Amino acid sequence: MSLNNAIKDKQLEWSSVMDIVNNVRVDELGVIERTSSLATRSIKREAKLDALKRIVTMCDLTTLEGEDTEGKIVQMSSKAMSPDPGDPDVPSAAAVCVYPALVSTAKKVVKNSNVNVASVSSYFPSGQAPLESKISDTKFAISEGADEIDIVINRKAFFEGDYRKVYDEIYSLKEVCGNTHLKTILEIGELKTFENIKKASVLALCAGSDFIKTSTGKISNGSSREACLVMCRTVREFESFGFGKKGIKVAGGIRDAKDAIRYLVIVNEELGDEWLSSKYFRFGASSLLDDVLKQIKKLKTNAYQSSYYFPRG
Amino acid sequence: MTEVKKTYKNYVNGKFVRSESGKVYSVNLKNEKFEIPLTSKKDLRDAVTHSKEGFKHWNKLTMYNRSQILYRLSEMIEGNKDSYISLLHQHGLSKNESKKDVENAINTIVWYSGIVDKWEQLTGNLNPVAGEYFNISHQEPIGVTFSLSSNKVSLNHLVKSFLPAMSVGCSVISFTDENAILALKLSEDINNSDFPSGSINFITGNFGNIVEDVGGHVEVKLVAIYSDITNEFIKTLSERGADSVKRIFNKPAVDGLASILPFIETKTVWHPKGK
Amino acid sequence: MNNWNYAESKESEKIVSIEKKYGHFIGGDFISPNSKKYLDTISPSTEEVLSSISIGNEKDVDFAVQSAKEGLKQWEKTSPSERSKYLFKLARLIQERSREFAVLESLDGGKPIKESRDFDLPQVAQNFFYYAGWADKINLAWGDQRTQPYGVVGQIIPWNFPLLMLSWKVAPALASGNTVVLKPAETTPLTALLFAELCDEVGLPKGVFNLITGDGTTGSHLVNHKDIRKIAFTGSTSVGKYIQKSLAGRDVGLTLELGGKAANIVYNDASLDEAVEGVVNGIFFNQGHVCCAGSRLLVQEDIHDEFIKKLEKRMQMLRVGDPLDKNTDIGAINSKDQLDKITQLVNEGVKDGGELFQIECELPKNGYWFKPSLFTSVQANYKIATEEIFGPVLTTLTFRTPEEAVEIANNTEYGLSAGIWTEKGSKILWTADRLEAGVIWANTFNKFDPASPFGGYKESGFGREGGRHGLLSYLKDSS
Repeated sequence: MSLNNAIKDKQLEWSSVMDIVNNVRVDELGVIERTSSLATRSIKREAKLDALKRIVTMCDLTTLEGEDTEGKIVQMSSKAMSPDPGDPDVPSAAAVCVYPALVSTAKKVVKNSNVNVASVSSYFPSGQAPLESKISDTKFAISEGADEIDIVINRKAFFEGDYRKVYDEIYSLKEVCGNTHLKTILEIGELKTFENIKKASVLALCAGSDFIKTSTGKISNGSSREACLVMCRTVREFESFGFGKKGIKVAGGIRDAKDAIRYLVIVNEELGDEWLSSKYFRFGASSLLDDVLKQIKKLKTNAYQSSYYFPRG
Repeated sequence: MTEVKKTYKNYVNGKFVRSESGKVYSVNLKNEKFEIPLTSKKDLRDAVTHSKEGFKHWNKLTMYNRSQILYRLSEMIEGNKDSYISLLHQHGLSKNESKKDVENAINTIVWYSGIVDKWEQLTGNLNPVAGEYFNISHQEPIGVTFSLSSNKVSLNHLVKSFLPAMSVGCSVISFTDENAILALKLSEDINNSDFPSGSINFITGNFGNIVEDVGGHVEVKLVAIYSDITNEFIKTLSERGADSVKRIFNKPAVDGLASILPFIETKTVWHPKGK
Repeated sequence: MNNWNYAESKESEKIVSIEKKYGHFIGGDFISPNSKKYLDTISPSTEEVLSSISIGNEKDVDFAVQSAKEGLKQWEKTSPSERSKYLFKLARLIQERSREFAVLESLDGGKPIKESRDFDLPQVAQNFFYYAGWADKINLAWGDQRTQPYGVVGQIIPWNFPLLMLSWKVAPALASGNTVVLKPAETTPLTALLFAELCDEVGLPKGVFNLITGDGTTGSHLVNHKDIRKIAFTGSTSVGKYIQKSLAGRDVGLTLELGGKAANIVYNDASLDEAVEGVVNGIFFNQGHVCCAGSRLLVQEDIHDEFIKKLEKRMQMLRVGDPLDKNTDIGAINSKDQLDKITQLVNEGVKDGGELFQIECELPKNGYWFKPSLFTSVQANYKIATEEIFGPVLTTLTFRTPEEAVEIANNTEYGLSAGIWTEKGSKILWTADRLEAGVIWANTFNKFDPASPFGGYKESGFGREGGRHGLLSYLKDSS
């Protein structure tokens, strides 16, 4: 059964979701070849500057460490609002992404800007906790002022074949979120195959996620352009059958501007350039922003830059 | 004057048939005289139609099955060895030569019977392409083959003019003129060896009568010339054959792997490897 | 936010230097044509004249063949391992100068630099590498079969992959001990002329590789030359038949790689997104100037609408324009003649009742261009469903069952290639067994490799190029 038939009445029965999941088909090499062919796009001059500035607006500046302190969060939030104080042309980032306990700190800094505060929740990064705990974790983050919630899917349930549980948890957490923006992390490095990635994408989207996200950033195989392409195609299918536009966040291991631009090319050519804004596409990153700022300055001054020209995040 | 001994008929679609024209020609052997069909253009067309069906049937059989049918032919000839020896002797061969030739023919058939389920292991292979692909080249029979058998008075040469094609799965229309008696006698044993109808056909006559049509018939996919024919005939075959890009082989090899290569078409299949 | 447009990113032309005029390359030297006649080769993307090339007349051809006969004496004396090294060296030189070749190919032929750089040139080098290694292993290729080279081989190649087709022809011919007279297509001779310089640079014995330029008459002289022992031709089916006729009654070897009208079968259980990519690559690669192009889309009826919707959306992303722009997907149509032919066939398709979709895009003012096109509502008897268009035009037909798919796919005089898209393994094998085609791509399309034999069934020609089987095209039985 295709998505097409399943959502004729814009309402998804669980059996329809399962039909879609069971009929997911992805050819791995086809995905790899398409991705590498898109990587040969040559983005130069004004197209590059345009891309770089977009990337800044799409960045969720992230720190998710045990060592995070209020001081660190304030510093990062401040940088998110004004990444390059020396160049007013450089826009602010999309959000800062922190643990629930640090949401209020971040919120205090960014409250009068257009920078959002995103909080991970649901026992990030493993998700190995009862649903009740995940709910309370999420409720707490929202009550502290989080604008966006990044949850992880239940990989234990996924690999045990309990897709219903994966779906129900996301569904319940979206209920908790209400209008708060929900991003669901698939952890593609654990799912491994593109078919799993597509299945998880379908479950997350059907359960009400606003975004699907590649990785927690806590494992070595974080994001990949191939996974992004598969997720784009799932989002595209979802949209083309009347379920509205959903977003994608790529996170984990995207460190330089060149790589980030390649992600933009994928989104541009698979989904279209309506997706090329922070509303539908995000980068979860910590070091990416500095490279992007360097490249912007390089384009403007034609001189290669050092990171000490830019504030620490 | 020697009396007419027997009227041999063409062997088409597993049946012994006269020429629709009713025309015959005579072949004089040492002590006997035979009348055999003078194949007409229409006879040729019929043979091609049946051969096309025969190709399907022959191909549907497993290699194991085809191999056994060819072996069965060798058994049949073995059983009728004496009659072949005497027929060859009638054609002017010495008793000894005749015996040797029949034995060689049996050996040839046994050899081809044994290669039916092996040749593809020798002609096909995986190709080590630079990428994550499974890539295999294997072979298929080209299809309806028209074979002009050797002018030599020899059962061995006769069988060598259709076995290479048949062993890879082609159906054959075997044409003979001077050696017609031998071919038509062989068809009797063939008829008792479980060959599917139309897979092997024997027609006789004057090649000049049908050369244009053999070249021009699109359903004849390949012409193998084992006999000495005039360059004029070869030219006609090729000129007519070019309209359907017909495969035409003049004097193909008659031994070993080389003998079957003309009759196979290489098919290469690609598939990605992935999870 | 505003649209994101890719800025032009042009590959520099400065890397190539083109002479005003070229002679033939015969006996290791460039020489002026006896004919004293020249023809212009132009860039199909700008219509600018790039250079003038010689038109070979009967005397020119004879001179080239005599040179190849002389070359054969040298080549026979050269040990197989030495022959091997010459080919390895050529492969290396091609790699070193691949950027130059790629730019020249795109200028002269109109194909996107992305393809000449990432497909044609890597394949050309790999092809010389591959056959270089065969040169001293010919005796291992086909068991105990005794073979010998033909001698002087005439090779005629098309304009769609000029240098790649040269490598497909020249590398195996030289590796198996033949010498060559090559005639490139009249619209795309420049990379072959540059290759001739490389032969000189590696010190290939004089006369082993000879190049004669010109038009159809030159090719005809080559085919009819009495000392040619073998002709290898890639091109249209009509010319192939003409050559086969011309050689009738002569003891000259022949291999033909001709036209196609390949079916690309999409079953309802395929990975549709990858199938869309494969179908796009199958027909729009190299502007559809590909003999094995998947020009007939056979889509299972129950997914027709969904698939066509995806396909049209994907097609709209194709970037048509300057071949030297690194972001161009679809370059220029190779010649005015070809453009006229495509236009005429497409017009007939519309007249017949086919529904035409063409992408929205701006085409450059000068040069020869055709918008990527898709026909639906096509009946099997329309010309666009049976004739090779050799352009960026895809024709859609539908089927209900695998049996029907195979029947439609085989309902053509051609038999070069075919595609199968399904995630069901046994269905792939079932279908592949029944398709009358020399190359079958399952869940992929338009893949090539020097190790992989390529060639047609039926009226798409005979003989194979590539792999162990490709050697047989340049060796004859000597038992």
